[in-house]
Amino acid sequence: MGIKQYLQKTNSAAPLAVFRICFGFMLFASMIRFWSKGWIETLYLMPTYFFTFYGFEWVKPWGEYTYALFFICALSAFLVALGLFYRVASISLFLSFSYIELIDKSTYLNHYYFISLLCLMMVFLPAQVYFSIDSYRDKQIRAQFIPQWNIDSIKLMMAILYFYAGLAKVNSDWLFHAQPLSIWLPARNDMPIIGFLFNYAWIPYLFSWFGCLYDLSIPFLLWNKMSRAWAYMAVIVFHVLTALLFPIGMFPHIMMVAALIFFSADFHQKVINRLVSILGLPKETPPIASTYQSPPLLHWGFVLFFVFQLLFPFRYLAYPGELFWTEEGYRFSWRVMLMEKAGYAQFTVKGTNGLQAVVNNNLHLSTLQEKMMSTQPDMILQYAHYLREYYANQGFSSPKVYVDSYVALNGRLGKPLINPQTDLAKEQDSFTHKTWILPFNDTIKGF
Amino acid sequence: MAFINMVCYMKKYLLIVLTGLIWACGSNGTGTEEPTPQEDGKDRKAVLSHLADQVIIPAYVNFKIKFDAMQAKSEAFINQPNTNNLAAFRSAWTEAYIEWQKVELFDFGPAEKQTIRNFYNIYPANESGILANINDPSSNLEVPASYAQQGFPALDFLLNGLAKTDEEIVAYYIAPTEGAKRLAYVKRLTGRMATLLDKVISEWNSTYRETYISKTGLDISSSTSLMINGFVLHYERFIRSGKFGIPSGAMLNGVIAPDKVEAFYKKDISLALAKTAHQAYVDFFNGKAVKTGVEGPSIKTYLDALKAKDSSTGKNLSEMINAQFESTKVKLDPLRPNLYEEVKSNNQAMVAVYTEMQKTVRMLKVDMTSAMSITITYTDNDGD
Repeated sequence: MGIKQYLQKTNSAAPLAVFRICFGFMLFASMIRFWSKGWIETLYLMPTYFFTFYGFEWVKPWGEYTYALFFICALSAFLVALGLFYRVASISLFLSFSYIELIDKSTYLNHYYFISLLCLMMVFLPAQVYFSIDSYRDKQIRAQFIPQWNIDSIKLMMAILYFYAGLAKVNSDWLFHAQPLSIWLPARNDMPIIGFLFNYAWIPYLFSWFGCLYDLSIPFLLWNKMSRAWAYMAVIVFHVLTALLFPIGMFPHIMMVAALIFFSADFHQKVINRLVSILGLPKETPPIASTYQSPPLLHWGFVLFFVFQLLFPFRYLAYPGELFWTEEGYRFSWRVMLMEKAGYAQFTVKGTNGLQAVVNNNLHLSTLQEKMMSTQPDMILQYAHYLREYYANQGFSSPKVYVDSYVALNGRLGKPLINPQTDLAKEQDSFTHKTWILPFNDTIKGF
Repeated sequence: MAFINMVCYMKKYLLIVLTGLIWACGSNGTGTEEPTPQEDGKDRKAVLSHLADQVIIPAYVNFKIKFDAMQAKSEAFINQPNTNNLAAFRSAWTEAYIEWQKVELFDFGPAEKQTIRNFYNIYPANESGILANINDPSSNLEVPASYAQQGFPALDFLLNGLAKTDEEIVAYYIAPTEGAKRLAYVKRLTGRMATLLDKVISEWNSTYRETYISKTGLDISSSTSLMINGFVLHYERFIRSGKFGIPSGAMLNGVIAPDKVEAFYKKDISLALAKTAHQAYVDFFNGKAVKTGVEGPSIKTYLDALKAKDSSTGKNLSEMINAQFESTKVKLDPLRPNLYEEVKSNNQAMVAVYTEMQKTVRMLKVDMTSAMSITITYTDNDGD
């Protein structure tokens, strides 16, 4: 099948409609959960300093109005689920969600990035043309068929997430030392029923290998009709297990629901029929031969997007040194659960006028921020610059900032991460290699 | 076709793995030669039980004996303020203060709930606050602002800091009109300490012991997590910074602050206090039973069971931590009993202790917690 034929191939609009509903409600629930746990307060209102992303320094929390931001985000997710004012709602969902995630690096999670990307795709996909309030109210936009590639693009995004997460696990720490699972699993040995298993040294190996093979193979197994049912069972087992074992919040639930996109149009149509009868909704009567046409050239936008997605995680190759140690090119690359990394960073500030202070990080950072900062060089630098400004205001003349850092990675004994002789006040952040990161002096082979 | 074959192969493989996993979950691990968790030390309940029953609770019992003795001597002094009773009170205070160092580190559970540490041992004492409280018997002693106006440091001031000679000190307490108020404040302080101690001990003896040994998880609210967090914080903040870092000026501008040593007014017991605290810390790490002196399940045995070691040398992390404790002791030994004098005349030896303790802090805070998978975050994470 040539590219042209593929682009013209259509499929039922049902899978994307069901995906929109599930995705919207999941995000809505995530926002409510986030709010009810008081995290808006602890993560975005209480800290006095925020670790912004390079190039996004203008993103700031809105003070008390941060609640409004979350309200907008939750409302948008709800509207997306209903398919009401879909175009506007999907755009505001993407913008508000991404804005929130850009406020502070210390809250960065791969699955938030994943959700941001899906939101962006949803802006351009016709998820509202079928089984939505918009399509019920406006027959003009109603359609029963959409281009096949619209559905496949969601599948491809999921496939990239899984496959790259699997690829990242192909490394000597994960496969040959079962790290960090050898550290994390014994911590759960008091779980009912299966807890005792985690006392055995071979169990982390089994989990490591299974996890790696799962991530690498699951996209193919889901895509293939013959293996799909089994593969979906594996999705359930895998994500339920991870949800029980690790504090990863909504992610397992979102993945279990999102993976339904791989099922056939028939399956999704049945879901819709069931919903219609349960909720007593009026039957839609789509006009005959209603096929939604994607805007011309849109597929090129998606091609660019996916080329970027395929290449961006490999940017770490452009940096010298061990990726897990320097974390240069670590984020936005589907590297999940790969490291048990703990650190300690004690800063000393010296003014040229003889003033000197050892910084109490508690005064400036939240527990989470301090934990994240102490193992990640770019955040150490950002914080050092913050301290430079802070102490300059305290009467320190042209303060120099030094850090005594100590970081342990995947069961190795800790050692200094940052050159203690480097005056971080003078160093600039950029995409180039940070020469003041001390060498790891060990190798982790693999991706 | 090759692709389809691969998919089929993978499917079979996945089935095998899944079956294996289900089989593994179903079996009891019988037929394997691996020891049970009780034997191999990964059972956190065994560790927590041993620490509660053989270390923490007996240590509180011991402290209470010394504390009660101190309170009795203080009563005797209040009833009859004379130099003999003052000396007896002072000596009982010294013994209780030293014994306190063996329980101060249990800064989790009931002790944390009562913030007993803050009410017992925040120094330097706030002299003007104490004097003001003497004149105001209804002053609030339950707020953070009152920390430095009570506990052992306040008694230090009231026993040792008022005048040069015992006769003059006794004169302070038998002064007409004022004397009674001063004695009343001493009584108020010991009474408050007794109340707090009783709360902590009775909670350990009633409900908390069970809570402590049964919450075996490692999440943020679990016993082990709270204990390790409190344990690490104690070393960093109260042993390293409080006893050495701050007085020696190592932490601020290099300007010495001899008046910030522990037991500033008594002076000659400050090293004894620090050494006792350090030894109690080491003993807790090693699970040394208070009564028998025999080591049992502990942080050390748990780390060993986790096989926490330096991958380059193969040395156990627990051995390395103990070696680091030992190096710190080596630096403590040559100090003279009066740390106030040491700061003034031999401060580089004080800074050397601080520097050595700093190395210990890193190992406890990073290597130990990381090996144990103790989380200090309170939100989701995906491990990156």
